[in-house]
Amino acid sequence: MWTLDTVQKVGAVDTAVWHEVLRLMVLARKVDEQIIKLCHQGRIHGSSFTGIGQEAISTAAAIASQPQDLFGPCIRNLALHLGRGETPLGIMRQVLARRDSATGGRDGNIHHGRLENGVYAMISHLGAMISVVAGGVMAKRRQGIDAVGVAFVGDGTTSTGDFHEALNFAAVFDIPILVIIENNHYAYSTPTSGQYRCRRLVDRAAGYGIDGVSADGNNAAEMYVTVNEILTDIRRTPRPVLLEAETMRMRGHGEHDNFKYVPEELLLLYRRRDPINLAVRAMAAAKLMDSEQFAALETSITEEVAAAARQALSEEEPSADTLLQGVYADA
Amino acid sequence: MREINYLQGIREGLQHVLEHDPTALLFGQDVGAFGGAFKLTDGLQETFGCERVFDTPICESAMLGCAIGMATQGLHPIVEMQFADFITTALHQLLNNAGTRHYRTGNAVPMVIRAPSGGGSGGGPFHSEELESFFCHMPGVKVVYPAFPSDARALIVSAVADPNPVVYMENKTIYRTVKERVSDELEPVPIGKARVCHEGQDAVVIAYGAMVHEALRAAGELQASDGYEVMVLDLRSLKPYDLDTILAAVAATGRALVVSEGWKTCGFAAEISAAITESAFHLLDAPVRRLTAPDTPIPFSATLENRYRPSAPAIATALRQLIEF
Repeated sequence: MWTLDTVQKVGAVDTAVWHEVLRLMVLARKVDEQIIKLCHQGRIHGSSFTGIGQEAISTAAAIASQPQDLFGPCIRNLALHLGRGETPLGIMRQVLARRDSATGGRDGNIHHGRLENGVYAMISHLGAMISVVAGGVMAKRRQGIDAVGVAFVGDGTTSTGDFHEALNFAAVFDIPILVIIENNHYAYSTPTSGQYRCRRLVDRAAGYGIDGVSADGNNAAEMYVTVNEILTDIRRTPRPVLLEAETMRMRGHGEHDNFKYVPEELLLLYRRRDPINLAVRAMAAAKLMDSEQFAALETSITEEVAAAARQALSEEEPSADTLLQGVYADA
Repeated sequence: MREINYLQGIREGLQHVLEHDPTALLFGQDVGAFGGAFKLTDGLQETFGCERVFDTPICESAMLGCAIGMATQGLHPIVEMQFADFITTALHQLLNNAGTRHYRTGNAVPMVIRAPSGGGSGGGPFHSEELESFFCHMPGVKVVYPAFPSDARALIVSAVADPNPVVYMENKTIYRTVKERVSDELEPVPIGKARVCHEGQDAVVIAYGAMVHEALRAAGELQASDGYEVMVLDLRSLKPYDLDTILAAVAATGRALVVSEGWKTCGFAAEISAAITESAFHLLDAPVRRLTAPDTPIPFSATLENRYRPSAPAIATALRQLIEF
C-alpha cells in the first residue's frame, strides 16, 4: 500500500498543492456524507449518487487544470465540481432541487454543471459528453484560447458506442482531451468481468493511435502528478490521451442500492486504501501536516457543509408556474 | 432575377452564412473537397477553407456532440447528416443533450443539423426516411422544412441565427427538379411562418417539403378537370408551426387535407389534423383528412415506392372526396 514511490511523489508535489488536494478531497467527502444523510432522512427527491472513495481522481484534475479548461464530469465527480468553483451551498441546492441551484430544480442530483466554471452538465447517456467536451475545446482553440478538456467515464461507459466514436473523433482531429476512465470495478451491479475482455481498458488506446496511461486512482499524489503531466503535455502538443485510474466504488450505484453484490473483502481492501487516509498518512510522513491539524480541517469543513445544508433546506423550490419557461433560448 | 434550383438555394444559404458569420462552420461526412454525396457543398471548402468546412469520420453521435460543444463555446456549427436516416444512431445527442440543455442549464445551443430527407429516387428503406415526427416530438428542438429555393436559402440563414438546435430538413428528391426565379438579395424568412403558395376557397392542402409540389400539381389538375379552386399551404416550419395561418386557411375553405410523406401513425399530419379539430371544429364542413405514407418500411422498387409515396393523383382523389363530402 504505502510504497517508496508514493513518498517520492509526495515530495514531487508542491506543499501548497498538497494542502489544496487534501482540502478538496475532504470537502467532497463531507458534502457526499451530508447528501447521504439528507437522502436517508427522506429530504431528497429521487435517489442520490456519491463519489466516496474516488475523490482523488476528480481532485487531481481540478487542481491540475487552468481556468480556460473544459470538463465533462460523470456520476462520481463531486470533487471536480467543487474544485472548479461550485460551492457546498450550490451542491446542497442542487441535490435538494432548490430554485437557486445550477439547474433551478429542472434537473437533480449529479446532473449539473456551470459553464462559467468550464463544467458541462452531464446527461445520463454514458459517453455522450466526451464529444461535447471535444467540440468545446475545438471551439476554444479556434478562438485562440489554449484550453484542454477532461472527460470522466466509468468502466461501464467503455462499452458504449459513444466512447468509441468520441475517442476516434478526438484522435483524428488531434483534440487535446484527457479521457479518464474511473475503473471502479462495478457498473451498477455488473462487475468488470461482465463488461469487457481486454486485460486493461487502457490497452484500447492503441486502437485509436493515442497514448494510454494507467494510474492508482486512490493515490492522490500519483493522480495529481500524472494528470498534471498529461495536461501540460497536451496543452502544448494537442492530442487526446486515455488514462485508466484504478479505484473502487465504496457505496451502491445510488443510495437506493444496498450493493450486496460486492464482496465484503473487496470493500475491506479498498477501505484500507482510502484516498484521504493515504494522503493524510503521506503528508504526516512528509511532515506536512499532523493529526491535530487534520482534525481541525475536518471539523471546519464539516461545519461549513452542515451550514450549507441548513441554508439550502430553508430555501424555496422552483415555483410550479415556471414549468413552461426556458425550453428555448430567446431569439 | 435568376433561376436557381432547390439545391442551389441551400448552397447559397450556406455561402451567405459562412460569408457573414465568422463563427459559422460546416462539417459532415464527405462535405469538404468531395463536395458532399449530392455535391451540395461543392466549392465551399475551396472558398472558406479546411478550418470552416471539413470532413469527419463516420460518427453521427460524436458529430452532434462536437456541435453541442462548439455551440456552447461561441461557434455556430452546421452539421450535415449525409442522409437524415443516419441520425437515428445519434438521437440521444439531439433529444437528450441538445434539446434539454437550455431548460436544464440556461445555456443556449445554437446549432443546425441538415437532414437530407425523403424518398422517390430509389433510396430504399435506409436512404429515404422522413423523420420530422421524431424531431418535432423533442422539446427544445426546432424544425424547418423548406419546399422552394428561396425559402431554402433564407431558412438556412434563420436557422443559423436562431439560438436553439434547429433541424433543417431538405428534400433530396427535389434538389435539382424544383426551380425558382430569385433575386440576388436574400429576403429573410422567419422560422414559424407558413406561406400560401396557391389560392383557393374549396379546400386547403396543408403540406411541406416535396409534398408541396405534389399538392400544387394536384390543385392544377383539379382546377382543369373539375373547376375546383384549392388552396395550398406550405408550412415551411414544422416546429413551431404556424397555427394562425393554418386556422385562417381552414376558416376560408372549411375543408382541410394534410399531406405528408412520413408514416401515418403518430405522424406530423396527425398533429396538424388534431390541432385543426381542437381549435376550429366549428369551421369545418368535413372531417380533416390525412394523406400520408402507409406504416410500412420504405420499399425499394419503383412500383412499390410510387404507391407508397403520396403523389399528385392520390392528392387529387382525396381532395375530390373531401370537397364532395
